[in-house]
Amino acid sequence: MSRARDLIELDLPFHVNGTLDAEARAELDAWLETDELLHAEAASLAIIRDEMQAEEVRSPGEFGLARLMRDVGREGAGGGAVQAPSRTWIWQAAAAVAVIGFLAQAVLMRDQAAPQGYELASAGVPGALVVAFAPLATEESIRSLLVGQGLEIVAGPSALGLYRLDVIEGGDLEAASAALRAAADIVESVENAEN
Amino acid sequence: MSEDHHFLVQQIAKGDKQALAALYRAYERPCYKFIVSRLNDPHEAADILHEVFMDIWRVAASFEGRSQVRTWIFGIAYRKVIDVHRKRGRVTVTDEVPETGDVAEAADAGYAAKQEAEHLAFCMGTLSDDHRSAVSLAFYEDMTCAEIAEIAGVPEGTIKSRLHHAKKLLLHCLSGRIKGRAVA
Repeated sequence: MSRARDLIELDLPFHVNGTLDAEARAELDAWLETDELLHAEAASLAIIRDEMQAEEVRSPGEFGLARLMRDVGREGAGGGAVQAPSRTWIWQAAAAVAVIGFLAQAVLMRDQAAPQGYELASAGVPGALVVAFAPLATEESIRSLLVGQGLEIVAGPSALGLYRLDVIEGGDLEAASAALRAAADIVESVENAEN
Repeated sequence: MSEDHHFLVQQIAKGDKQALAALYRAYERPCYKFIVSRLNDPHEAADILHEVFMDIWRVAASFEGRSQVRTWIFGIAYRKVIDVHRKRGRVTVTDEVPETGDVAEAADAGYAAKQEAEHLAFCMGTLSDDHRSAVSLAFYEDMTCAEIAEIAGVPEGTIKSRLHHAKKLLLHCLSGRIKGRAVA
């Protein structure tokens, strides 16, 4: 018992989790034999540790991996120091693109006749739902809604500010669609895509 | 195991997505558990976990192998959660250890914590992020004091001190809740 009790006591959590070296463990073991309070604290910490280790947590699992692979694929090869734009930045950029697109379309419609061989804007575009988000909806509320319903944005915004969504594999499109319609403060309109 | 994970990080640095998937499968669950224990928000924790592995993908080439892969990954997660707390402007919670004899009482009570998961979750939630992180790494992950100190970027003595205070606060909180329930 070469160290003072106060110092020994600081090692108690590491005695409980089994990471103390042999010398420190032996020193603490000697104290535990004679100090009832220390012994009781060690027992309580052991119960807390057991409880924490037994705790079940539902992690993102394979869904998280699919999301990771998708985003890594978008970003390109690894090892670079490329910083992905933040979500906020993405939404600001998306809004800017929507405005520019709208202006460009207005100019085209004013200056040009309709081109020959006109094609539906949705032709060949992925996505099962076409939605418009409410102007005051925050990125956080949109994200929470989409993640909660297993949806992802696969295209958009269009010049009119429309986004195309798909359910992540295994998701329920009908339920997700109903949830979007019910979230009137976040989603302004929901239509089934006509591909 | 550790050498395997070093190899995976080297492969990730070369752009190997399968290596990233393997590393994700190895650490996704414990890392998420650590993050969610500090945020109490599963959706936000999932986003932070995603950001951690995106960072791993981006900076794998800078991993020099001087620390363990596990410590490196948890270090990234540790700092990400601190950023979240800073953005929230969150000021937490209990840091003062009450001057009572409840530590001994709680210990003596042998409070059958196996049935008291909700009490433990509640009491963990009353700790500051520093205290909660230290407890999570020590008891979820069974990390050494040196590993926790490396992740948090503080001396080992600071970690021991944080755990000491966290222990007192936890036992005090648990004692109060269990006594309250017994009275009710």
